[in-house]
Amino acid sequence: MDTLIFEVGLAIALIAVVGVLSTKLRFSVIPFYILVGMVVGPHAPHFGIIDLRFIESSVFIDFMGRLGVLFLLFYLGLEFSVGRLIKSGKSIVIGGSFYVAINFVSGLLLGWMMGFPLKETMVICGIMTSSSTAIVAKVLVDLKRTANPETEIIMGMIMFDDLFIAVHISILSGLVLSGATSWTGVLFTSLTALVFILLFIVVGRRLMPWIDKVLNVRSSELFLLLVIASLFLVSGFSETLHVAEAIGALLIGLVLAESAHAKRIEQLVLPFRDLFGAMFFFSFGLTIDPTSLGGAVGVAVVGVLLTILGNLLSGFFAGHASGVSAKSSVNIGFTLVSRGEFSIIMANIGKEGNLMPVIQSFAVLYVLILAVIGPLLTKESKTIYGLYQKVANRIRVRQ
Amino acid sequence: MNTIRFWYLYLDSHPGTAIQSTEEFSLNIGETDLPGIGRKFEVSARSGDHLVIIIHDDGRRELYRLNPDDPDESISIATFEDDEARHLAGIIGGMTYQPKALETIEVALDDLVIEWFKLERDASCIGNTIGDLKVRQMTGATIIAVIDKGHQNHLIPGPDFPLAAGSTLIVAGEREQLKTLKMYLQKGL
Repeated sequence: MDTLIFEVGLAIALIAVVGVLSTKLRFSVIPFYILVGMVVGPHAPHFGIIDLRFIESSVFIDFMGRLGVLFLLFYLGLEFSVGRLIKSGKSIVIGGSFYVAINFVSGLLLGWMMGFPLKETMVICGIMTSSSTAIVAKVLVDLKRTANPETEIIMGMIMFDDLFIAVHISILSGLVLSGATSWTGVLFTSLTALVFILLFIVVGRRLMPWIDKVLNVRSSELFLLLVIASLFLVSGFSETLHVAEAIGALLIGLVLAESAHAKRIEQLVLPFRDLFGAMFFFSFGLTIDPTSLGGAVGVAVVGVLLTILGNLLSGFFAGHASGVSAKSSVNIGFTLVSRGEFSIIMANIGKEGNLMPVIQSFAVLYVLILAVIGPLLTKESKTIYGLYQKVANRIRVRQ
Repeated sequence: MNTIRFWYLYLDSHPGTAIQSTEEFSLNIGETDLPGIGRKFEVSARSGDHLVIIIHDDGRRELYRLNPDDPDESISIATFEDDEARHLAGIIGGMTYQPKALETIEVALDDLVIEWFKLERDASCIGNTIGDLKVRQMTGATIIAVIDKGHQNHLIPGPDFPLAAGSTLIVAGEREQLKTLKMYLQKGL
């Protein structure tokens, strides 16, 4: 009996149910998608037609998750604009650099403290330095803070962080996925990736008038086919050059972002990103054995503490560089704490490279904690700053 | 009285007819990108009001004003869906309701023009009487009525009538004289 469609339907239904639940509880949906994937899986029970082990469908769910990564990064590329980054100003660049540097160093620190090898440590740096654009934007909108002066700084820094994500994924794919064992091998594949990326962007810019002309079709069906074809072809072709397919997706997104049809593509791709992105988080959860999480609790807690401290510090630098008040600086730091989709993508690279499984468990716990307390810290940043001020005053008085 | 009220509204919402704006019509608008959210517009009006409009990527519009007690905070005024916002824009822009003043604002008999305008807060004439200012000698135009802030009408105000901020003047004269009058009342000589 073929139950493939039913199983996939079951998976999507589970995702939808926890999605509704987490929205009701006002939490980010991402960790819940992972959790529900983790709860079911090979160890779960099955009753008649309802088979929560997802054995038959696991290959297909995995494939849909793979598409999810492509769409997530394609969308990231579409949203990103080099011109916008250049225009954003010195304070964003300073704040963003501090943000990336501090978080990267805390990743190095954590890897060193736990005695992880280089590859694992680099993946951890990636996990800890990738803010969640989706969560941060949603929290700011929900809290009605979009008009606040620090919001421009926060979203500018996130855009800067996106640039880091792009570069780091290319490096990681050279380091972890190429299978190169020697330093020269790693260097060679990373350089190939870099040359490919630069070449692609330059050629893409040159071909822009032609691309615009080709995409100038009224039929939304043909438009969709053209866009998806280019996404899949470029991503797949990248893989043959040992450049991760995710990077290929990002690149075609970056190129199409400059097109006159960028807005239309964005709207078109959004539902695909939502569906397959959710499948990605679910399938990531499916591969994780819940009993393995226990071993990663210590690392995750240390990681969370490092991230909160590091972000407060980078919020302070960013706020200082752009001349906003101390209270807004605390806002910046706490708002950027949320981690989500891109941390999981980084952990997924580790999984594909057969690195230590503790990395995945760490990523799940780390994202779970920060996706939940990040928005809470953002919401209560005013109260926390008030408490800090009270304590600071008391110390001053005592002195 | 009703029609006067309409003119009043019209003058409020059409800065082009307000006193100093014939020369410098500009609303101070700042634009910023909010990547991942949308676009932010900061509007400073001559009234001193400060408004922030956020256009979300999903089409929603949000209106905020700054909290006067805390410049770091913005207070949400209203949220509109895309279709609501477009409808609203039509209302604010005067597209759905044609102000009565548009039909009558140019009451011109040969060269004689009658016009309405509101005195801005920073006009230099505020506090002086019509006699002090020697309005007719200096500009050639005549102030034929004043509607003060409380919507009280003062017909043919005498030389001892003081000009107050926010009142609407109804003036008569030739086009050039009216232009001089507006400049004179706003900036002095």
